[in-house]
Amino acid sequence: MTLTAFAFYVFAITVVTSGLFVVVSKNPVHSVLWLILSFLSSAGLFVLLGAEFVAMLLVIVYVGAVAVLFLFVVMMLDVDFAELKAEMAKYVPLALLIGVVLLMQLGMVLGTWTSSEAAMDLRGAVAPAIEGTHNTAALGRLIYDDYIYLFQAAGLILLVAMIGAIVLTLRHRPNIKRQNVMAQMHRDPAKAMELKDMKPGQGL
Amino acid sequence: MISSDISTVLPEIVLAVFAMGALMFAVYTGKDKTAPMILWLTAMVLAGIGIWVAISGNGSRVAFGGAFVDDAFSRYAKVIILLSASAILLMSQDYMTKRGLMLFEFPILVALAVVGMMMMVSAGDLMALYMGLELQSLSLYVVAALRRDSVKSTEAGLKYFVLGALSSGLLLYGASLTYGFAGTTLFSGIITTVEAGHVPLGMLFGLVFIAAGLAFKVSAAPFHMWTPDVYEGSPTPVTAFFATAPKIAAMGLFARVLYDAFGNAVADWSQILAFLSVASMFLGAVAAIGQRNIKRLMAYSSIAHMGFALMGLASGTVFGVQAMLVYMAIYVTMNIGTFAFILSMEKDGQPVTDIDSLNMYSKHDPLRAVAMMVLLFSLAGVPPLVGFFGKYYVLLAAVQAGMSWLAIAGVVASVIGAFYYLRIVYFMYFGEEGDMLDKAKSPILWGFLMASAAIMVVGVVNLFGIEGFAAAAAETLVR
Amino acid sequence: MIGIEHYLAVAAALFVIGIFGIFLNRKNVIVILMSVELMLLAVNINLVAFSAHLGDLVGQVFTMFVLTVAAAEAAIGLAILVCFFRNRGTIAVEDVNVMKG
Repeated sequence: MTLTAFAFYVFAITVVTSGLFVVVSKNPVHSVLWLILSFLSSAGLFVLLGAEFVAMLLVIVYVGAVAVLFLFVVMMLDVDFAELKAEMAKYVPLALLIGVVLLMQLGMVLGTWTSSEAAMDLRGAVAPAIEGTHNTAALGRLIYDDYIYLFQAAGLILLVAMIGAIVLTLRHRPNIKRQNVMAQMHRDPAKAMELKDMKPGQGL
Repeated sequence: MISSDISTVLPEIVLAVFAMGALMFAVYTGKDKTAPMILWLTAMVLAGIGIWVAISGNGSRVAFGGAFVDDAFSRYAKVIILLSASAILLMSQDYMTKRGLMLFEFPILVALAVVGMMMMVSAGDLMALYMGLELQSLSLYVVAALRRDSVKSTEAGLKYFVLGALSSGLLLYGASLTYGFAGTTLFSGIITTVEAGHVPLGMLFGLVFIAAGLAFKVSAAPFHMWTPDVYEGSPTPVTAFFATAPKIAAMGLFARVLYDAFGNAVADWSQILAFLSVASMFLGAVAAIGQRNIKRLMAYSSIAHMGFALMGLASGTVFGVQAMLVYMAIYVTMNIGTFAFILSMEKDGQPVTDIDSLNMYSKHDPLRAVAMMVLLFSLAGVPPLVGFFGKYYVLLAAVQAGMSWLAIAGVVASVIGAFYYLRIVYFMYFGEEGDMLDKAKSPILWGFLMASAAIMVVGVVNLFGIEGFAAAAAETLVR
Repeated sequence: MIGIEHYLAVAAALFVIGIFGIFLNRKNVIVILMSVELMLLAVNINLVAFSAHLGDLVGQVFTMFVLTVAAAEAAIGLAILVCFFRNRGTIAVEDVNVMKG
């Protein structure tokens, strides 16, 4: 067994087992942590396939942002998860049935995967990996040139996500005191304080 | 090169830039105080672009290396999408203002969703398909949950989101298998790898997953379960929007994938579509019978209507696509009118959606009752109204394609389905006396209701020549 | 030798786990969202494997777009979830009887 094959099996087994733990673990915080492990090891798989840039993206965007977002929401919502999990056993037979049937079907197809003969010609016409170019540079040439249309569309999708998140969760509460820096800086001792002469022994 | 590409996608660019500009304007000026103005402006821009798309292009052009296709088919779909979205926005103003939902984000999200829909019907590449679909879906998830202090609305958003994300996952898995087999994501490349009449197993799986994902989006049975809850829970103008433009976009995308990418394998997918069609028609017809809520009823009605439209697609002929396109145009027109009526249903200033509240509506407001009756008859497909011609075309297409059993199933389902439409008519004319609805005031809703009903009657003459456009559109798609 | 089938098998297993998770955790929306992320991860493994197998970079470009959209989707999903939680005080979708299917 070569080193590549060994690395593949390590990563592959980690991806699948941690994926399984994401869906079966009792505590959603554990689920998120398993999800992170799953992302990290699939990044390892991507590196084995020679897709370094996508692997780095996975680590930065997924582990760095999405998984942390999940963790944040899990922590923020004070949910009694034990109660939610209690009835999980009820769905196990159905879920297992669906899972096993689907897996068998996919196994049938993927066990003997072939690409069409024409595929080799077609991919040559679309975007062959350029010899001697770094993976990141080659991808950059593609997305900023051939796929600029989709790149812009991705920008619009992120814009929608931003608008959506704001419109759904931002609340302007009227009765909250907010810091007003300008007002603070323009405070004037003369207006803010009042000096009174007090005679000893008398109250105000 | 790039300038010709940009001129091809100019309508989309104009709409997207408008949406961004309007967003900046609203954020830096009056926020929600500018909302009515932005809503009107968006409706005008949508209608303007619709007219521009209708009269400008001719012929077929591709841009960005085939990722974007501008042809008669995409223009036909875009015109309906843009005009219906514009009409729904105009109709929504009154309702949104009364319920305190007049957020400036609403028209902007609708505009961005429309950009996504335009990308969908013009997609020439699996990636463009996915990006357009997601741009549309993400905007729709948000508008479904727009009434964020209401349990029903956020629940609708959540259900829509979960099932929508699942369907996107299925679709993507199918897309990845297709890419792996064909070696390209371009539809024009995929079609060359499918030899006539023979689809390899890997590709077939890709096709099945893609079809399942898209069936979710058109809410065809057995992937319909989100529809009734989302229709009921969302604010009514949003429901009206869901029932119109996104349906055309998803149907157009469905047709485009099947013909542009898998056009050589009609025999393989036409069975899948025939099954979806029969299941949707019967489910829509039977499940609607027990409904007392008119929004839920419209959800089942839309499932049944999607079944009929899929019948046209299942026949796999030029005429079938033409029938589907005519059907969708008629469906959208009817739904705009019906929702104009539903939006005006109020009691003591509160919206009501119970069909019992329509008891003896004819005495209360005879003109509206007549208009609604025409629309309901048309939805049921009663001759000689326009809705009948829509059904007639798809049934004819199925018979011509040698699928008589499908056509017979369609007739049976439409007879069952007629029952619940006619029951509303019965309530309006022969029901018991009860509490009356408020007198509807909005002239915009009245206008759309009357216009839609008038189209259903007058359109009988020549369907406003829409067949010609649909035929031209179908011919560019089916080669 | 590790061939394309091995990667496809990993992706298929992960995809099925994702679907399995959706059915298993019908009450817990956060885990459903994580299951959807697993499904998208499976798609990404598929795409990158095909990309390497065919020597075609388009698969990796597709993966990047999928990653972008998945991030946007997670943001919107969690926003809707937070909204829902504020209204109901729970994230269980199933015991929702406000609307009946």
